[in-house]
Amino acid sequence: MITLTGTAHMAVWGKWLGDALGTNAAGASAGNALFGIFLSLVVYLFGQWLFKIGKGFFLFQPLFVGMVLGIFILFLFAKAFGTDTATFYKSAYLPGGNIIFWFLNPATIAFAIPLYRRNDVVKKFWLEIVLSLIVGLIISLFVIYYVSKLIGLDNVGIASMMPQAATTAIAMPIATAIGGNSAVTAMACILNAVIIYALGDWLVKFFRVNSDPIGAGLGLGTAGHTVGSAKALQLGSIQGSMASIAVVVISIVVDIVVPPFASMMGLI
Amino acid sequence: MAANDKATKTETAKEEQASPILIQMGIFAAILFVSSLISPLFPATFPVPTPVIGLVILYILLATHIVKLRNVEKFGDFMISLIAFLFVPSGIQLAASLDILKAQGVQLVVVILIATIVLLVVVAYTTAGFIWLRKNVFHRDVNVEE
Repeated sequence: MITLTGTAHMAVWGKWLGDALGTNAAGASAGNALFGIFLSLVVYLFGQWLFKIGKGFFLFQPLFVGMVLGIFILFLFAKAFGTDTATFYKSAYLPGGNIIFWFLNPATIAFAIPLYRRNDVVKKFWLEIVLSLIVGLIISLFVIYYVSKLIGLDNVGIASMMPQAATTAIAMPIATAIGGNSAVTAMACILNAVIIYALGDWLVKFFRVNSDPIGAGLGLGTAGHTVGSAKALQLGSIQGSMASIAVVVISIVVDIVVPPFASMMGLI
Repeated sequence: MAANDKATKTETAKEEQASPILIQMGIFAAILFVSSLISPLFPATFPVPTPVIGLVILYILLATHIVKLRNVEKFGDFMISLIAFLFVPSGIQLAASLDILKAQGVQLVVVILIATIVLLVVVAYTTAGFIWLRKNVFHRDVNVEE
């Protein structure tokens, strides 16, 4: 009897929650954006809190904690509702997630400001900046290609790894064009940012990247996209400006360099 | 004390100079709108997304002094300070591709980790090399103000 009422309660609560989250058949069309926004904020703020009490332990970086915890919560919810994580993500999280995601547009544009603040460096070194990004990318492509081969990725996997230096919106169509899987490329772009965000300070110190501020900025912008630029700004105004220019120029360089590189390596 | 007063005064003067936040947002919105019109003009084989065009447009507007720093600075710096949070949905997006991770996950993550480090280190040292060339081979000035 008790179990029966318990189940009945569960059903009522389940229906209410399902309607609210937009996962029930009835509520599917009216997906509630507030859940996605709320979950993103909660996991990120929890990450910030953990980072503070963990005295800055690198794995407690708020973005990384938020990502892992967010996926885990979606996984648990999906289990509770009896669907798979991908479906639950799309119906319950995505409407709100997309609203936050949209703000990356103005945030990316905003990097023109630190770029312009050090316009003196841009004007003086524009040739070195462009050449370094082209040559640096080509060398990196060779290394990434052979590392992927060594680790045993198939051609689709290798092709998906090639365009990751570009911003996601450029990298994905290029990956498709050279025979890669654009979802894997998108994952690479995201993980680039997460890795630079979590390990950036340590990597900069370990590889003594900051011995040349222009190089440090270009490297962080190339490897970590806009998150790398935010990291670079913490090192200094030159680094921040150089990372901002790297995000733009490297994307265009990927546009031009990666397709011929892929055909040279026999990927297409 | 007097110096302190002066500092506060210039601070307030600076505050007054900054454009109202709605105007700053308006400038961003206008740039985004124009960029979204330009972006589809590029061929599918040479994609250039809206925010990249927007960054270039805002830089050109700043460099030509059509838009002043005080018109965009406050909102722009605020958006930059949010960047890590704005990436949370992108990170959680991986929930949709957990099946890819199941198939080749560990290898992919290892390659991505190595690729990230390679891009950072190779680009940084290539740049240091070109700066060295500029200084020692072409004998041009390499000093920058901090």
